[in-house]
Order: sequence, then structure tokens, then C-alpha cells
Amino acid sequence: MSEPYPRRAAVTGIGVVAPNGTSAESFWKSTREGISVLDRVTREGCGHLPMRVAGEVRDFDAPAAVEERFLVQTDRFTHFAMAAADRALDDAEFGPADEDGSPFSVGVVTAAGSGGGEFGQRELQQLWGKGSRFVGPYQSIAWFYAASTGQISIRRGFKGPCSVVAADEAGGLDALAHAARAVRRGTDTIVAGATEAPLAPYSGVCQLGYRELSTEADPDRAYRPFTAQACGFVPAEGGAMLVVEDERTARERGARVRALVAGHAATFTGASRWEESRHGLAHAVAGALDEAGCAPEEIDAVFADALGVPEADRAEALAITDALGAHGRRVPVTAPKTGIGRGYCAAPVLDSAAAVLALEHGILPPTPNVYDICHDLDLVTTRARAVELRTVLVLSRGLMGSNSALVLRRGAADAS
Amino acid sequence: MSDRITVDELAELMKKAAGVTVAPEELQQRRDSGFDTFGIDSLGLLGVVGELENRYGAPLPPDAERCKSPREFLDLVNSSLVAGA
Repeated sequence: MSEPYPRRAAVTGIGVVAPNGTSAESFWKSTREGISVLDRVTREGCGHLPMRVAGEVRDFDAPAAVEERFLVQTDRFTHFAMAAADRALDDAEFGPADEDGSPFSVGVVTAAGSGGGEFGQRELQQLWGKGSRFVGPYQSIAWFYAASTGQISIRRGFKGPCSVVAADEAGGLDALAHAARAVRRGTDTIVAGATEAPLAPYSGVCQLGYRELSTEADPDRAYRPFTAQACGFVPAEGGAMLVVEDERTARERGARVRALVAGHAATFTGASRWEESRHGLAHAVAGALDEAGCAPEEIDAVFADALGVPEADRAEALAITDALGAHGRRVPVTAPKTGIGRGYCAAPVLDSAAAVLALEHGILPPTPNVYDICHDLDLVTTRARAVELRTVLVLSRGLMGSNSALVLRRGAADAS
Repeated sequence: MSDRITVDELAELMKKAAGVTVAPEELQQRRDSGFDTFGIDSLGLLGVVGELENRYGAPLPPDAERCKSPREFLDLVNSSLVAGA
């Protein structure tokens, strides 16, 4: 009632810390070229694990990215989050003057699957190695999957609505949707996204119980969804943060509207019940299209979840045609994450970042290492494809059964 | 190890426990300023207390972690160490 115009959620900034690039520019260049950076796991203490291949972030300079006290007080996943948030805000050219006189106009939303496993392991080793008096007090907050939201808001002085989405890997998309809803409800700006740091000994061991985890040792063969050779997924670290703003407020301050968050829906179909994820995912797509006021034929490309487990790949391919009809067999589908791995909650946020960049450039990045598709999909392989893109669909599923779909539209040059 | 905690030692513990670097000279000069102005929050001070307790093998008074400034902290901790010695 109080709003004289319909508030729309615009993406105005992208901050990336990914295995294939620690800036949005390098991430996009590598993604567009279809370069795979999957490699043997080299992080300390992980060498003996049957999780052989992963997407490691190797050129992240944590001391250069965050202040010394955050290096001591927070986990690697929060270092990634703070750095990605800084990069997103820089990209959006959003400074203190843009808070419109009120820190309450800016909030933070993140999602995380595993939290600060490396930090937690170090402190638990102190506990069992030396005794409880040797556990540092920051253990109480650093391991917690809500840490990144809190630390970003404290560090940047943002006092608007802050949240953490705990919804499995698909929570990364849900965080963006939650940000869009907060913006529509009246908050001008939300810094939203997800980062993860699951490549550490304790966190690695936790993942060994996933039957979907790839144990293949050859980086080129470890993660090949939608093929007959699919043998599971490869994990990754890093992630992305986006600046989501009220479109009009963004335009008034002269920001570039990169894309609009147009629609979202989420469903739940149970842990590892991949056959059932077909209907869950299709239902999420239908809900997202409905919220976006978008016909199936308007979807110009799909960023797939691409788990790499035959049963799950089949369910996803069928879900796309269930939801989009005959258009589902014609629409180009891509899964650039086969070149960097699945960063749990971070994976769909990196896909969303790639989708925004794809909308801007009219280029669909390919699916590295994937050839000979065994499903009825037009999967973009080998090299990027030039496509006029106005509307894209991003899909995500979690190992625990969450399914989510997000519709992004290209930002109009200037709607005012 | 001296039986009194010096400003140098406090500066070293602030760096180790909370990642906050303050030169001992500055800490000496600003010893009446709040810990918060150095970037030490309540968890950081708790970490400093824990390090000291492990180092001296004795508990500090419960008020130690509630001290507002380095001067207040050093006065309390040193008087309790002297009393306990």
C-alpha cells in the first residue's frame, strides 16, 4: 500500500571467489572458454581421502582480502564470503553514501551447507589433544553456518534485515530469492549469496558418506553429468555474493541493472530420492515461471543442476521437459559447474552469476568435460554458444532433497 | 616468565587470541581506552584470559573478562597474580 510503484529486485553487482577465478571477470572468461580447473585435491590433510578430485580456490590471498583479526576469528568460508561481498559491492559501485543515510536499508542473506569445518576441526583437536581450556572462544561463532552473514554485516556496518538460509545446496538459490523478497518488502539493498570451504580433512570425511560423491581420480573423468559415464559429482570451494537492489533505487543512484530476479519456487522430495526429484524440480520450475509471469517458451536457456548421478540426471532432464513441454527439448541447457565442481550452496549462486553474465553478453558458456549426452537435452558442450538471451532459468537440487528454481531476466537498459 | 603481565605481553596475546595488532607503545599510551577501540570484542578478551590462565596454570578472577580497558585489565590481573603468588 505504501509503495507507489511495484518494487522489483535487480542484480547490480557480482563478486566471485571461484576455483576458476577470484574476480567476476576472470571467472567469466574461464567459464566462457569452458576451461576445466578440476584437479587432484592438494589441501593439507586431504591427500589420503577417496575424494580425489575437487575444485580448489588456489589463488585466493586471504591476508590481502580480509583484515588480520578476521583471519584469526573466522573460517575460510567466511573469508571467501567477506571478499566476495566486497567485490560485489565494488562492482555495484555501492559505497557508504548509497545507504541513503540509513544502515538499516542494507541487509545480508547467505546460505551455507557445511559452515566453518576447518576452523572447527582445529579447535576440536585442541579440545581432545590438550583439553577444554585450550579451545578458543571464537569457536563459538566461526564454525557456525550463520557466521558469514553476521561477519559481513558487522564488518560493513549493515543493519538491515539479515538472514541465513539453511536449505541444502538449493539454499543458494533460496538465498537470492529471499533477498529479492526482502527488497520487494521495502529494504533497498541486500548482499546475498553463498560461499563454502568443504575441502579440509574433517569436512572431507563428512562428505565420504555421500554415495553421489565421485571417487574417480582422473580430473577429466570425475564429473560428467548427462553422460553414460556419469560417476557422481566433484566438490568445490569458493562461491559468490550478489548485490540485489530495488530496481528504481538502483537506477536513481546511477547503478547498472544487470538482471532482474523475476521468479522462484522451492520444493522438497527427500534425501537422495532422485527419481522423485523429477516432480519436485518440475513443480519448482512451474512455481518460478508463475511468479515471474513467464511462459515456458520464454525461457532462453537453462543452467542445470547436473548432479552427475545417472538417476538424478535422468530426473532433471525429464523435469525440464515436464515443466517446459516440447520447448524443454529445444532450449539450450548448460552446466558450467563441470569445470569447477559443485560448491554445495555456492554452486547455484555461481551459476546465477554466470547466468547474469551470460544474459549480458548473449553467450552461453559450455559444459566442460562433457560429451556424448545420453538424455534428450540440447546441452551446450565443447564451446560457448552465442544466443540472444532475455530470460534464463537456474536449477538446483540438494543431496538432502531440496529442489529450487530461479528465473532471471536481462536488465533493461533503462526503464525510466 | 615474570610474575607480572606487561603491556608487551598483553599486546602479544591480543594478536594471538584475537588477531588484533597493536604496538606495545601504543597500548601503553592508550591504556585507558576501551578494548573495543582496539578491535577487541568480548570473545577476544575471553581468549586473552584463556591464554593467560593456561600460561600461568591458574584461574583469573571472573571479572577479568569484563574489564573495559587495558589498564583496568592489567591492574586486576596483576594484583590477583601477586595475591595468588
